[in-house]
Amino acid sequence: MARRDRFDILTGGGLLVCVLAVVFLLMVGQEKNTSAAALDKAMEQQIAYQARIEFLHNLYQPVEDLRLAGQASEALLKLDELARHYPQEAHGEILQAEILLERGAIKESIDHYVRAVRLNGDYVDKASPLTRRSGIQQLVDLRLPEFAARTRKNPQSLALQNTLTGLYYLQSRLSGGCE
Amino acid sequence: MLVLWGNPQNSGICVSCFLENSAGALGLHDNPRMQYLRPELVGFVLGAVVAAFLGREFKSRGGSAPLPRLFAGIFLIVGCAVFIGCPIKMFFRFMAGDLTTLSGIAGLVIGVWLGLKGLAAGVHIGGSKQKPDGAGIWVPLGFLLLLAFILWPPGFILQSTRGSAAQSAPVLIALAVGLFLGVLAQRSRFCVTGSIRDGLLMGYRAPLFWGFLIFLVSGLVTSLATGQFHLGFYGQPGAHLDMLWGFLGMLLVGLISVLLGGCPFRQLIKSGEGDADAGLIVIGMFIGAGLVQSWQIAGTTAGVGLYGKVAVMVGLIFVLGNMLFYRERIG
Repeated sequence: MARRDRFDILTGGGLLVCVLAVVFLLMVGQEKNTSAAALDKAMEQQIAYQARIEFLHNLYQPVEDLRLAGQASEALLKLDELARHYPQEAHGEILQAEILLERGAIKESIDHYVRAVRLNGDYVDKASPLTRRSGIQQLVDLRLPEFAARTRKNPQSLALQNTLTGLYYLQSRLSGGCE
Repeated sequence: MLVLWGNPQNSGICVSCFLENSAGALGLHDNPRMQYLRPELVGFVLGAVVAAFLGREFKSRGGSAPLPRLFAGIFLIVGCAVFIGCPIKMFFRFMAGDLTTLSGIAGLVIGVWLGLKGLAAGVHIGGSKQKPDGAGIWVPLGFLLLLAFILWPPGFILQSTRGSAAQSAPVLIALAVGLFLGVLAQRSRFCVTGSIRDGLLMGYRAPLFWGFLIFLVSGLVTSLATGQFHLGFYGQPGAHLDMLWGFLGMLLVGLISVLLGGCPFRQLIKSGEGDADAGLIVIGMFIGAGLVQSWQIAGTTAGVGLYGKVAVMVGLIFVLGNMLFYRERIG
């Protein structure tokens, strides 16, 4: 190994000073860090998410009210109106799916559930405040065997195939996985 | 077992998913459902570092074709993300009965085979040279920093509260499993594409191939024993039915892996052994992990979007172009 000269000693000393400075900054600098208050990104994200849920709740409250009052047609009209302002909003799709399901329009309901889950996976999450997991699970458990049998009997029916594909999609999302 | 402890279904180990989660945690993409600094990932590299030091195999080496390696790392993750999973996860999915993986397995094997043809025809991206300097320590040091972020998370680290990234095994268990697998992989040289390559070249005489078979059998036994085995094409977790794009995504991964000496998992392990070339691929994989989420390249259960398809084709153009550029012709 070559002998260390003055340059090596000076560089090594500088390196040591920098390492000690970093350790010192991390140990005592946290409390005085003026930017720390604005840097809790995880919390900011959480606050934004809670605000979004609150906004959705307020936005779609009239629909929920109409639905509770048994005025399903009016609720669907209100959803149409909101969809013109917020065309990519999954919450409208999920409410539409639920109302259509209550009215017995199974195929259309499945289509809307699929659209909602594609737009926002929170609806199949167990932990999400928006979750509709149990309802979707029930729908899949009940309707998948039925639509599979109907599609086997009518293999030419494109509509039935689309619904079945939608049910398989929901089943897959309910199974979990990483996406 | 990691799935039982809390990881997403069929994602006990998935290098590309872990990279996408970790890239999100570092702020490299903004998908709030895919942000979590996965301790397993850090464990793989640091486990390899420990094993390499103990086995006196830690050697700083590297210095060949840096930019192609960086981009190759990006495209490795593009291929995995379009398929939804790295080669390890693909075989775990297969062993859990997911038949949609058949297209990916075919793609990976054909990709490896094409890569071997390329090597035989003189394609050589360049060999690593041993370096007297500390080039090989920077990626392990980077992962040591990530370990510090896991243990003492600073304010800029993001963590999903919903989606698949919110599902995880307890930190210390995940870290311990990662370290154990890192040590094991460094000592055994385990590599999915390497096993397929050796199997194609030497058949049953290849030790790696036997190791791979043991890996498959243990995956199958665990799936059956834990009730996670569901045979079929439909309703599989984190899977899509875009067979062509699953095939092409994994073909891209197989091709790059053979030309650059290892699958994504092996690149992590090699970077822990001081291989700066592999380290550059790992950095590329991190960049790729951010891009596949930000640019909607990653496949979803609904299928592969336009950008995913374009990215796979661009990846194939990249790798085929490099096969022409880096071909050593005699005479």
